[in-house]
Amino acid sequence: MTLLLRRVRPEQVRELTLVFILVAVVAFFATQIPNYLAWQTFTDISTGLAIIAVAAVGQTLVVLTRNIDLSIGSVVGLVAYFVGTLLAGTPGMPAPAAFGIAIAMGGALGAVNGVIVAFGRVPAVVATLGTLAIYRVALVELSGAKTVTTDSLPAWLLNLPRMSVVSLGQLDVRPLVLLALAVVIVFQLVLSYLPYGRRLFAIGSNPDAARVAGLPVERDVFVAFLLSGALAGLAGFLFLVRFGNITVVAGQGLELQVVAAVVVGGVNIFGGSGSIVGALAGATLINVLQQSLIRWPAVSAFAQDAILGLLILLAVASDKVILGRLRTIWVQARRRDEERAAATAAEQATHGA
Amino acid sequence: MRIKHSTSLSLLAGLALVASACGGPAAAPSQSPTQAAATPTQAAATATAGGVAKATPGQSVKMMLLPKFLGILPFAQANKGAGDAAAELKNSTALAFVGPTADNSVQGQIEFMTNAATQGYKVVMISNNAGDQIAPAATAAQAAGVKVVAWDSPIPSAKGENLFVAQVDFNEMGKVMADMALSIMGADGGKFAILSASPDAANQNAWIKALNDALKDPKYAKVQLVDTVYGNDQSERSYTQAQALVAKYPDLKVIMAPTTVGIAAAAKAMQDGKMCDKVKVSGLGLPSEMVSYTINGCAPQFALWSFVDLGYLTYYTSYMLATGAIKGTEGEQFEAGRMGTFKITKDPTRSAGLRVLMGPFKIYDKTNVEAEAK
Repeated sequence: MTLLLRRVRPEQVRELTLVFILVAVVAFFATQIPNYLAWQTFTDISTGLAIIAVAAVGQTLVVLTRNIDLSIGSVVGLVAYFVGTLLAGTPGMPAPAAFGIAIAMGGALGAVNGVIVAFGRVPAVVATLGTLAIYRVALVELSGAKTVTTDSLPAWLLNLPRMSVVSLGQLDVRPLVLLALAVVIVFQLVLSYLPYGRRLFAIGSNPDAARVAGLPVERDVFVAFLLSGALAGLAGFLFLVRFGNITVVAGQGLELQVVAAVVVGGVNIFGGSGSIVGALAGATLINVLQQSLIRWPAVSAFAQDAILGLLILLAVASDKVILGRLRTIWVQARRRDEERAAATAAEQATHGA
Repeated sequence: MRIKHSTSLSLLAGLALVASACGGPAAAPSQSPTQAAATPTQAAATATAGGVAKATPGQSVKMMLLPKFLGILPFAQANKGAGDAAAELKNSTALAFVGPTADNSVQGQIEFMTNAATQGYKVVMISNNAGDQIAPAATAAQAAGVKVVAWDSPIPSAKGENLFVAQVDFNEMGKVMADMALSIMGADGGKFAILSASPDAANQNAWIKALNDALKDPKYAKVQLVDTVYGNDQSERSYTQAQALVAKYPDLKVIMAPTTVGIAAAAKAMQDGKMCDKVKVSGLGLPSEMVSYTINGCAPQFALWSFVDLGYLTYYTSYMLATGAIKGTEGEQFEAGRMGTFKITKDPTRSAGLRVLMGPFKIYDKTNVEAEAK
């Protein structure tokens, strides 16, 4: 056990714990809900998850730098609506163009956040709470109370959510899900191996030290917000593909789900630690809980939100306690190892002399 | 324009139908003469003909149209209708179409109501989304001389409300939904579930209650309501709720969504899940948003009324109330421009409150949805 503990960092234990909790949750609901372990459930949940997961990746980048991006819900809604209107107006527009516009628009909206936070030195909570409201009002103004309706959208977009890339028996893997997975993998690699990714950890752990060490803190934070916006834009595109009907309330409240996913996924809200894979696990857990609760006849519609909130609190609190323990044990074990190694080295040195 | 004209004609015809079908006191175009004599001041202030009050155009009344929240089509249509009425009545003060954003609907509405008097409004026309929580603010506004006219969704207790302009009879609504469920499922009946908007929406709750009452009729013995869920008028939430309903009740036959956002989202969810053969969607929808689902069979039948007409009638009623042409008492009759004559009655669907009933429903299916969608 101690050997295992020494090998595996506490953060990794945590990701494994999440997977374990997820399995437990699924097992529990399988006994409660008839036909729960059906491929249809998997398809429903995974497709819904794709949107949150993509947004959660962006949020992770920002939270790592000890910031937060609360504007995500409005960015998703605004981009989904804008691109939807654009496609309704010019049905001949090629799919990659629509895709690109969504990302670019999200990036631009994110860049605004980045400028305000990184260069304007406004606390991220305040700044993005402001843009959350501003982007939503912009959407209300832009829309003129019109809804983007499915029948005004081109056929390729409507067929996308029904298409399966991989079909194993009754298991359908939707293109949306694959795209989200690709995003997760790419950004996990960025965080693990690229200098930019490593700098985000340094900035979040200790912004002052990072600045003194000569890291381009402002620029990196700005880029994190820009990427978060761009990914929210991508999520907006997925949102449009999935729901088709876009009203002014599209994506409302999404930011809370995304922040919850990131926190449950073990990304430290005070910056400096966490991983994309963890955020994905958090998003999966929350989404599975949500979707399962509304399928569970035993709970009324009113209690669902409260139960979800409670479960999130439990997850985070228990995690804090357990992880704190683990970390202490891990640090002590490492220290003992080092002491022993030092003692051996000293012994060898005296013997050698 | 031509379309609108024809709908208003059919509306009148339908109104007569509904009224006569109810057989209640609402009908009677020729009212007893006591009604006219009852309020002599009113008769002096306006041109009355046979007890029917008429509006005096050209007066300046500051009016606020307050929807549940801004940004969805039905409310924009109501604003258009209200604008039409304002132009006809030559009100020199422009109509204010203001409202909260969807996430702040309840608090926002209460705020607008609270500030209405100090901002000089004479009338607040509200589609109430705050249940009875709005009542204290509305009562205070009334005390400060503001007329409060509810439309679309009333104040349940009627406290603080002068009048409610009802789009349709709320009990009738229950029957219409039960009928649609039965006609879609066929004589064998089956299970259906309701996908509502928010749990606070007074109109939604009244309709669900009416539907439950209607289902007691032996005619619907085989129609079984199994669940009620809430999508909060949000596409994504309504979509996942519809998916969950199907998962929860594998033999579900119909999802009944008495909300324009919910019905479109549910239809999309069934279409994406390739389940339109098994589960049909019905409820209240806008033809322009539902046309493709009606043609492909996902939502074979749904109902609605004209929100443009509702806005028009609400404005007319409120203007007359604010200018003293009507007092807002039971039994008064008045002429609302192109829509004809209406009467203020007790609201039979609530324990208190007065109502002006518009009506009727229009049922849409394959045969008429395309024409209306344009």
